[in-house]
Amino acid sequence: MGRFKKVTSILFLTSLLLVVAACSDNTDNTSKENNDDGNKNEDVVIDGDLEPITFSLFAADNNPSWDGMNSPVGQEILKATGVSLEADFAIGEPAERIALFAASGDYPDFVLPKGDGNLLVDAGAMIDLRPLIEEHAPNIQRVYGDYLERMVWSEDDDSIYFIGTNPVDEEYRTPGNGFWLQHAVVKELGYPEIRTLEDFENAIRTYYEMYPEIDGQPTIPLTLLADDWRLLISVTNPAFFATGAPDDGEWFIDQDTFEAKLHYKRPEEKEYFRWLNKMNAEGLLDKESFVQQEDQYKAKISSGRVLGMIDAEWSIADTQTALREDGKLDRMHGVYPVTLDETYKHGNFKPTGYLSTWGIGITVDNPDPVRAIKFLDWMASDEAQILNNWGIEGEHYQLDDDGNRYLTDDQREERRSDSSFDERTGINVFRAYGPHYGNGVLDPTGQPYTIHTPETLIEDYTEVEKEVLAAYDVEIWKDLFPQEDEFSPRPYGAAWEINYSSDSPIAVPFQRAQDTMFTRIPQAILADPADFDSIYDSFIEEISTDAIEAAEKEFSRLVQKRVELWGGN
Amino acid sequence: MTRKKQNFNRMTPAERMFDILNYVFMCFVVVVMLYPFLNVLAISFNESTDTVRGGIYIWPRAFTLENYAVIMQYDSLITGFINSVLRTVIGTLGGLFVCSMVAYTLSRHDFQGRKFVSTVIVLTMFFSGGLIPTYMLMRDLGLINSFAVYIFPLLVSAWNIIIIRSFMDTLPNALQESAKIDGANDFTIYWRIILPICKPVLATIALFIAVMQWNMWFDTYIYNSANPALTTLQYELMKILQNTATSAGIDATRGGAGADLIKRVSPESVRMAISIVTIVPILLVYPFLQKYFVKGMTLGAVK
Amino acid sequence: MKVTEKVDTTTIIIPKQKNFWKKMREQKILYMMSIPVVIWVFIFNYLPVWGWTMAFQNFRPGRSFSEQEWVGLAHFIELFNDPHFYLVLRNTLVMSVMLLVVGFTIPIIFAVLLNELKDSLFKRTVQTISYLPHFVSWVVVAGIVTKMLSTDGGIINDMLVGLHLIDNPIQFLAKGEWFWFIVTGADIWKQMGWNSIIFLAAMAGVDPQLYEAARVDGAGRFRRIWHITLPGIRPTIYVILILSIGNLIAIGFERQLLLGNSLTREYAEVLELYALNYGIGMGRYSFGTAISIFNSMVSILLLLFANGIFKRYSNTSVM
Repeated sequence: MGRFKKVTSILFLTSLLLVVAACSDNTDNTSKENNDDGNKNEDVVIDGDLEPITFSLFAADNNPSWDGMNSPVGQEILKATGVSLEADFAIGEPAERIALFAASGDYPDFVLPKGDGNLLVDAGAMIDLRPLIEEHAPNIQRVYGDYLERMVWSEDDDSIYFIGTNPVDEEYRTPGNGFWLQHAVVKELGYPEIRTLEDFENAIRTYYEMYPEIDGQPTIPLTLLADDWRLLISVTNPAFFATGAPDDGEWFIDQDTFEAKLHYKRPEEKEYFRWLNKMNAEGLLDKESFVQQEDQYKAKISSGRVLGMIDAEWSIADTQTALREDGKLDRMHGVYPVTLDETYKHGNFKPTGYLSTWGIGITVDNPDPVRAIKFLDWMASDEAQILNNWGIEGEHYQLDDDGNRYLTDDQREERRSDSSFDERTGINVFRAYGPHYGNGVLDPTGQPYTIHTPETLIEDYTEVEKEVLAAYDVEIWKDLFPQEDEFSPRPYGAAWEINYSSDSPIAVPFQRAQDTMFTRIPQAILADPADFDSIYDSFIEEISTDAIEAAEKEFSRLVQKRVELWGGN
Repeated sequence: MTRKKQNFNRMTPAERMFDILNYVFMCFVVVVMLYPFLNVLAISFNESTDTVRGGIYIWPRAFTLENYAVIMQYDSLITGFINSVLRTVIGTLGGLFVCSMVAYTLSRHDFQGRKFVSTVIVLTMFFSGGLIPTYMLMRDLGLINSFAVYIFPLLVSAWNIIIIRSFMDTLPNALQESAKIDGANDFTIYWRIILPICKPVLATIALFIAVMQWNMWFDTYIYNSANPALTTLQYELMKILQNTATSAGIDATRGGAGADLIKRVSPESVRMAISIVTIVPILLVYPFLQKYFVKGMTLGAVK
Repeated sequence: MKVTEKVDTTTIIIPKQKNFWKKMREQKILYMMSIPVVIWVFIFNYLPVWGWTMAFQNFRPGRSFSEQEWVGLAHFIELFNDPHFYLVLRNTLVMSVMLLVVGFTIPIIFAVLLNELKDSLFKRTVQTISYLPHFVSWVVVAGIVTKMLSTDGGIINDMLVGLHLIDNPIQFLAKGEWFWFIVTGADIWKQMGWNSIIFLAAMAGVDPQLYEAARVDGAGRFRRIWHITLPGIRPTIYVILILSIGNLIAIGFERQLLLGNSLTREYAEVLELYALNYGIGMGRYSFGTAISIFNSMVSILLLLFANGIFKRYSNTSVM
């Protein structure tokens, strides 16, 4: 009895206290958490007279190899800068966490919010980096050069809140998107030109008629993946690639007037979908294209009985590895710049210029912004970039007699085969948290900053792949595609990178159009060819509401504003 | 007990038939219910590059422990495991005590505040203030970056209270009456008389709370992700599992920074190994609780 | 018990007042056992409800309460004017009713059958295994279901074709009308064992003397199930039924999202997914809050309705 009384009274008292706490003025009763965790690296001798400091960091993208400052590269960074980073990564929708930061007013010291920076800027959470960069950051200025002007927040606010963490001046060497065709098909048919949908279709059809079965199982002429958002990658994005437009997300931007519209409204794309409809009607499209899930799709391709796919490289990379390990080198796939007809150029390599909008920023809660910008500046230095890409000399790479960096075979193999390499060494782990150059950029001594060179790419090809490429008279797959210099750069970068807020007139109508598209396009593709026109036309009508047209106008305005703001940089 | 039953009455043919069908049906259930778990288990022990080829059912084709090794290399798993166990144990005991105590007062039909208390509690099942206000409340209560945030907000569960109460409602009244006559107070009746005979339902609720506590990761992520000492197993695994495909995948098509990350998307086999690591510890709880479900062990003993 | 309470309410006011305080003193321990919990619940569950004000603003995180723009009922008007909302509501209600009917009765039947098993080891084994799928995530279960229903070597189609019941494999997952049944089936598979635990626990509370007595009276197996087991767990059944009816509208979206595809979208999209897509997912906290207020209101009404009905006809209630 007595004991019980005590228990209840304690419970009661704590409840009361909590009520009082809840009702009291709550502006600053949450003391900033003092993480004594930062001291665990005390044994590291920091260069110069730098006081050790810990910065917290929140990133919208996960970094599975993150292991704090414990790795050798992490220790080097700590030694050089005195900075320990404590990282926290978004799980699921990053906006959720970012909104909580904004609502509560407690910010991490560094943030990489990707598309949701506007929430933080709105809440007054971000520091203008411009004066800091001008005063303290020569390396940052050098790496970005004129691109810095692209990072200006808006026409009304010329502050720079975030500096880009995409690789600067990256040279892209592998086609990310295209039409995939089994090597066996082109070999069998004597390496026909694969340039148009018709070529692609004929190759598939002819081979399918010759070999209705592969390894005793039915051959699948062409399969697509439409599992949730993957529909965008494998079904609708190819529509603009095949009709000569670059990747502007769900938008098509007129390159002269900078007017935007939803890309599937273009008549050319209707013709692309009509082709898919025909493929389906003729039994050349896998019946399960719109039903299967990713693992089924991958399993089919890995079995070697799928002749063609239309997809992004990263989506099918696993299947190519599996085929390769099985020794089914003929059943692997090559990628071709297929378009609706010869008047279009596949836009995979259409340049964007530097995509600067998504990056890292310093918040008002950062205890020492000067120290913070100096840290970012150090990350932009040659020393740091070489450390982040190559690692530590003698351990992760070697120098030859002329002072050139190279990897021994063992070091290369270690990177390739050890899945925990990044986590263990810290290489590639910190790069995303500062300005850095991309593949193909050379340092002052004429050596690349990154370890990837065109030679390493070719070394990795299989014999069959080399044979096919030789037959087409090229060295790498990219050579089949229209090159960057055949296009003029887009003066707005890439439209998918343009953010708008949740109460913008774009938000809801855009979502509605997407929802409609997700049902209607598959319906149109699977319809009887006689009904295709009526289904597609009624779909276009459905997404031509006033609200959607207003959204397109608003988006055009944003694109045009950006072109003005960037002034051709 | 089962022996006795057989002695008592001979079975009619219909009953015998029923028994046979019942056994057959249960065997079918076993096969069907075991499959998904075995499938996950098999894939988790299969080489991840081989898994891409599909066709793994209940036995790995290319056996490996590599997938588990990938998970085990994360140092924070141990801290996470300890915290998860702690929150599960403390949360379950605390929750059981609080829920059963309130349930008892609600099962007392003579209790005046019954209607008020039950209404206040039941309604909580059907609304929530939303993420932002809840977060601000936790911040104002000083629960951010604390272990207490794993326990306090989850202590009272309306659903559990109602289930316990409905069990208590079936108990014969005579038990309490006699205790009252002996002069026991309400808490003593609850603690000494009611709780011991509520073991089946308490075991059930313990299971529910334990599973819920064990599986929570969102509160760690929202409230405690800044403090590595407070991490939980589920949160650590969630970080490994994190489907970078969804966010990074879209960027990757656009040549963005995601292109690098996409190569690190955890392969299916690793994801399945993670599932096993999360499932197995909590499965071990069940056999300890199961004995309390055994039919008829309760009332007879007390009466 | 109920009867005495009714008598209470009919007595005249003055003695009742007196009774009230007197009784309160008598029951002070019961009060001490429950009032702290009420306060607790008030803090953790009721205080955050100030967040509902967001539904009447264009809430932007990072602005103070007074800086928010107030828009009155605009978000509710938008919600109720959206034809898509009604489609989504239909899907939600149809699926939740199906899940309620099937997903509620089958675990009871399963629990009864399990209870009738005599071999205790076998019984325990079956029970343990039956609840395993509960722990397997929906992603995995949806993957298995999709593979089973595949036209490319799926076991169901292979069987149907093998038995000559159909000539060509059926695209089960491409048919919108079948989607609801597939979801319900998958749900039973995953949750049957888990959901039966509670009924098994209730059965464990049934007084064994009742069985003995029935046996002495010569009651057969089925009559014992019907007259003792089922009535014994009736309060649990009713209570869970009432709560399920209250939760009718909140059925989650994971299984629908994972089993659905673009061909079944018009049957698969449910309210919670809609709230995610058009609310929080887009950063529209206000609209998301408006939907959750709608959910809460519907749930509470359903609960009161169910509670009222059951109180009237079976004398069971949750409040």
